Amino acid sequence: MRRRVAIVGYAQSHHQHNMQKTREDMVFEVCKGALRHAGISREDLDTVITASTDFLDGRTISSVFVGMAAGAFLKDESKVEEDGTFALYYALMRVLAGTHDIALVEAHTQGSTMNAHQVSCFTLDPQFDRQIGVLNDIAAAALQARMYMNSHGVTDEHLAMVAVKNLSNAAANPWAHRKMAKVSVEEVLGSKVLCDPVRELMMSPVSDGACAVIIASEEKAREITSKPVWIEGVGSCQEAYIRDRDLGRLESLKTAARTAYKMAGIKEPAADLDVVELSEKFAHEELMAYESLGLCREGEGKRLIEKGTTGKEGKIPVNPSGGALGADPVCATGLVRVIEAAKQIRGEAEGCQVPKVRRALAHGQFGMCAQKNMVFVLGGNGS
Amino acid sequence: MGYLKDERPTTIGVEGGWNLGAYHYKGSRLLEEYVAGLKHKKLTGSFCPGCARVIVPPRNLCGRCHRKMDGRKTVSDRGTITCFVVSPPIYKGKLKVLGMDPVEIGLVKDGQVVIPVFVKFDGSDSNTDTVLLNADPKDVHIGMRVKVVWAKELQGSLADVEGVEPI
Ligand SMILES: [Zn+2]
Repeated sequence: MRRRVAIVGYAQSHHQHNMQKTREDMVFEVCKGALRHAGISREDLDTVITASTDFLDGRTISSVFVGMAAGAFLKDESKVEEDGTFALYYALMRVLAGTHDIALVEAHTQGSTMNAHQVSCFTLDPQFDRQIGVLNDIAAAALQARMYMNSHGVTDEHLAMVAVKNLSNAAANPWAHRKMAKVSVEEVLGSKVLCDPVRELMMSPVSDGACAVIIASEEKAREITSKPVWIEGVGSCQEAYIRDRDLGRLESLKTAARTAYKMAGIKEPAADLDVVELSEKFAHEELMAYESLGLCREGEGKRLIEKGTTGKEGKIPVNPSGGALGADPVCATGLVRVIEAAKQIRGEAEGCQVPKVRRALAHGQFGMCAQKNMVFVLGGNGS
Repeated sequence: MGYLKDERPTTIGVEGGWNLGAYHYKGSRLLEEYVAGLKHKKLTGSFCPGCARVIVPPRNLCGRCHRKMDGRKTVSDRGTITCFVVSPPIYKGKLKVLGMDPVEIGLVKDGQVVIPVFVKFDGSDSNTDTVLLNADPKDVHIGMRVKVVWAKELQGSLADVEGVEPI
C-alpha cells in the first residue's frame, strides 16, 4: 500500500437480544466510546462512514438518522450497505487516496426490531426462488451444510464441536450475547432443529448491537497512539448467487484471502497468523472457512476442530471471542471481528486474550451462504 | 403470478411483495414526556448544555456538540411561522392520508385548502411541523405570529395540538 493506515481506536456495545436503547443512542455510545479510546474528539474526524441496511433499519436512507449520533454533523459522510467490513474498506480507500486522514467507521443492527430471517427472503430472486417459496437463509444454509458434509465426511458432531468452542469462548467475552461456558456437544445436538442439520445453537443469534472503529494515516496514527494496529492486507470478493455456484465451497472467501495475504506478504497462513476472527453465521461455515483461508487442505476442516487446533489454546485460535455464534448484530458482526482482532494485537482482549499475537485475520460476510466475503489482515506489536 | 398488460417487448412484469409486516421501532421515552406535558398545555423541549439550543419536540442527541441533550425546557405555545405551503383544494375521495380520507373523517371541509407550517415556538431553536388553522390563505406569511390551538379535551397525546392560528 502506498500509504500505511492503522486502527487507532474502537468500541462495541454489549450485544444482546433486546437492548433498551434507541438505535441512535446505541450508535452514539459506541462512537463516543471509540473516540474516547483513541483519545481524540469529533472535531479530529475527516470523514464518517456508517454501515447497515435500510431494510433492517426500517427506514430508507437510514444514515440520515444515525449520522449525528456517529459524529458526522457538518462532515464528509457516506453509508455502505450490509457489513461493517465493507464500510471499513471504503474508509480505508478514502485514507489511502490521501483526501482524508482520520475516519470513523460505524456499523449496527437492532435485530429485535423485526424478523431478520424474514428480511433474508428479500435477497432471493423474485422471479423464481420467491415464487417457489421454499428458501430462506436458514434453509439455504442447511442445504450448504449438507453438501459440504457429504463431500468430506463431516458429521453433525463436527458442527456441534464448532458451536461448543465458540459459545464457551463467548462466555469469557464481556461483550458477547450468547455465553455458554459449560455447553456440550450433546446439548448443541439436542437444541431445536431449525432445518436439518442446522440446530438452534449452530446458528448465530440475532442480536442488537453496534460498534465503531477509527482509522488514521501513518502520520496521524503515530500521533494518536503508541499501539497502532496496521491494516496490512485486505481482500474482497463476491461469487455467484446461490443457484449458480458450488455451494459446498467458499470460493469467494478463498479469493479474498489470497488477495489479502499477497498484500500482507503472508505465505503460510497457518504459521503466519496468530489468531483468526470469523463471521460464521452457521457452524459449518467455520469449517469451510478453515479450508478457504488455507489453514488446512480442502476437506480437512474437521481435523482442526477434532484436534483442538483452533481452540483458544490451540496452534491457530479461531474465534477466541466467540465469533458470530457468540453475537450477531448483523451489519456490525464483521466490524466486531476487526475489533476483536485488533484487541488481540494490542493485548486488550480481556478474557479472550491469546498470548503473543502479532498478526490477526478478521473476516466479514454478507448474502446467502456467505456469497460476499471480506478479509482484513492486521498487524502490530502492541502487546 | 400476474403479467402487466403494458407493452413489454423484452421483459415481463412479475408480481411480488415488499412487505416486512411487523417492525417494532424503538422509540425514545422523551416522546412520552412530551405528550404528558401536552395534557397540561405545556410544550417540552430538550436543552443542550453544549450549545444552549432547545429542540421541540425533545430529541436525545445534539449532533453539533456530539453529546446528550440532558436538559429540559418548557417553551411558549406562541411562536413564529418560519415557512409554509398552501395545498390545492381538497375534495372528498381524492386524497388518502394514512389510509383515511381527510374530508370523510371531518379533518377538512370539502374544497378547503390545508396549510402545513413550520413554527419556531418562542424559547425554542427548532422547526416544529403542524398546520395553520383559522386563517385566510392570502394572509399567511413567513414571520406571522401564531399560537397553539389546543384540543377541547386534552388526552396527553399528539392530537392535543390541533394546529396553530394567527394571534
Ligand atoms: Zn449542542
